[in-house]
Amino acid sequence: MSGRRRAAAGALAFALAAASSVSAGDATPRKVASLNLTADELLVEMLPPDRLVAVTRWADDPDMSNVAGGVPAAAVRLPRADLERLVALQPDLVVVSEYTDADFLRLLEKSGLRHHRLSGLDTLAGIRAAIVDLGRAVGADAAAGRLVARYDAVLAELSRRLAGAPRPRVLYWGDPHTAGAGTSIGSLVETGGGTNVGRELGLTGIVPLAGERALEADPDVFLVTRGSGAATALRRHPLLSRTRAVREGRVVEMPNRLLVALSDHAADAAWWLASRLHPARVPEEAPPARLE
Amino acid sequence: MSERDRRRLVFAAFAAVLPLALLVALSRGSVPLPMGGVLRSALGRVGVAWGSPLPGTGEVILWSVRLPRVLIAALVGGGLAVVGASLQALFRNPLADAGLLGVGPGAALGAVLAVDLGWAHERFLAMPLSACAGALLALLLIYAIAHAGGRPTLSGLLLTGLAVSALAAAGTSVLLVATEEFRVRTILFWLAGGLEGRGYEHLALVAAFVGPGALALLLLARPLDVLSLGEEEAASLSLPVHGVRILVFGLCALVAGPVTAVAGAVPFVGLIAPHALRALVGPPSRRLLPASFLAGAALVVIADVAARSLGQYVELPLGSVTAFVGAPYFLVALRGQEGRG
Repeated sequence: MSGRRRAAAGALAFALAAASSVSAGDATPRKVASLNLTADELLVEMLPPDRLVAVTRWADDPDMSNVAGGVPAAAVRLPRADLERLVALQPDLVVVSEYTDADFLRLLEKSGLRHHRLSGLDTLAGIRAAIVDLGRAVGADAAAGRLVARYDAVLAELSRRLAGAPRPRVLYWGDPHTAGAGTSIGSLVETGGGTNVGRELGLTGIVPLAGERALEADPDVFLVTRGSGAATALRRHPLLSRTRAVREGRVVEMPNRLLVALSDHAADAAWWLASRLHPARVPEEAPPARLE
Repeated sequence: MSERDRRRLVFAAFAAVLPLALLVALSRGSVPLPMGGVLRSALGRVGVAWGSPLPGTGEVILWSVRLPRVLIAALVGGGLAVVGASLQALFRNPLADAGLLGVGPGAALGAVLAVDLGWAHERFLAMPLSACAGALLALLLIYAIAHAGGRPTLSGLLLTGLAVSALAAAGTSVLLVATEEFRVRTILFWLAGGLEGRGYEHLALVAAFVGPGALALLLLARPLDVLSLGEEEAASLSLPVHGVRILVFGLCALVAGPVTAVAGAVPFVGLIAPHALRALVGPPSRRLLPASFLAGAALVVIADVAARSLGQYVELPLGSVTAFVGAPYFLVALRGQEGRG
């Protein structure tokens, strides 16, 4: 491309960006409602309390949510995707998940409600992109930028500390489900300094795994949800109780709120897991405050 | 009171109960709407101004969300009840219903496939259309297999239906265990039966099959009554037994398939409504079928109101509500039938 053409293209791109930012500014939603926990966590951190009109009821559950105790009191807690209550709240934007039915979305549109769909949350990079997208959709780019800056700093520090460390082979066990490639848990394991056995086995997604295959895979570590009874079930399992990892007590019980975190807290989850897999390199359970 | 007057009274009662049930259903929900406001809004739509209608959000809830849902409930109930009444005449068994057709498992397989492949999350109407296709394919398969060895008997048709249902259920189970956890929740909600998130397009889908299907079954009322005398008696009255049987069976499946595709499993409606009404309006299908339609419609509309109102955190599955009512009724009716038998 010649210099003149490049300059023209640059000018055009600048004009388009300027136009789109004006348009986005005009359409900045004043009232936002969330229909999933990931959006709850992000919106609590991005928006001033008066702009968040509804969250899911899980947002207050300390076992599930990383923002429990911090959700604005005025935000309505929705027990389910209740279209009638949403219409009554008159939000300017409804944030839905990747798994929300297309039929429900059509009904949202027909009721005059705009929506933003979170997507790509199956990798830590995808989560980062989703934070930026959501910030843009709700007109909170600066707040999203701050979240992403901390997210990047935590992951960069983690990567620095884990450089060159041997990677234990980790199998997520949700009796009988495991996490293969293309899952946030798989991404979490690999960012936290492990090798995802589910991916090694050629699995994709959260899928069932036969006990015999898990035994044959012989992971170094089992990763389970804390409080789910999965660790006890592993110790009593007729096959998996015979694995080295179970016999030698290498079962990591991760708090549910971290294991299911698909927001900026996914970086904290990776840090937590690294602290269990590589305690010599990552002695703290949470990222140091200087990364805030 | 003469028999005829009593029957008229029953029809008049159901003709009054259904609009009342619809009105209650339109006003009840997670955002209550005053009945007067609902009535004023409805009158306003037909050009009769009578006081102030609902506030703006109330109008949206009423016309965009609640009305299609309530009308679907009425068509689902009416359709299943007519199918139940027809099958009870066809099989000469007062406890028969749409569950015998084998279209439910076919619809379930189609729905699970739509969720497993991600269509339900990406494409509008993918799930009900896929479920509908599953139901109709199951029907075609039953028909083709049953006719492979010549004209099937009624029991042959039923047993073929059972085998195809078992195959479809097995396929559903395989897909369910292989489907991602997040997607499984969607299919569980569908399997349990419910009308949340259904709009006018779903209403159109149900209406396109239930309306003509129920009407066609009503037109077959006389042959159905003749069939209910027994096959030999029907044949001696020059009724083309096999043709009528296949036609009724096919029409029932054409009604039940799309109903199941949109609402999931809503059991016992096709059993309760005609069974209870037979004592009130008599067994002739020309009376039993329309009465069953009205009663079934009112029953599901009321059951849907209960489903919306009783659960604190989640909406109760519509299929569970009808089963809570229908299963005890079925057991009592079964005991009564055994006592007579």
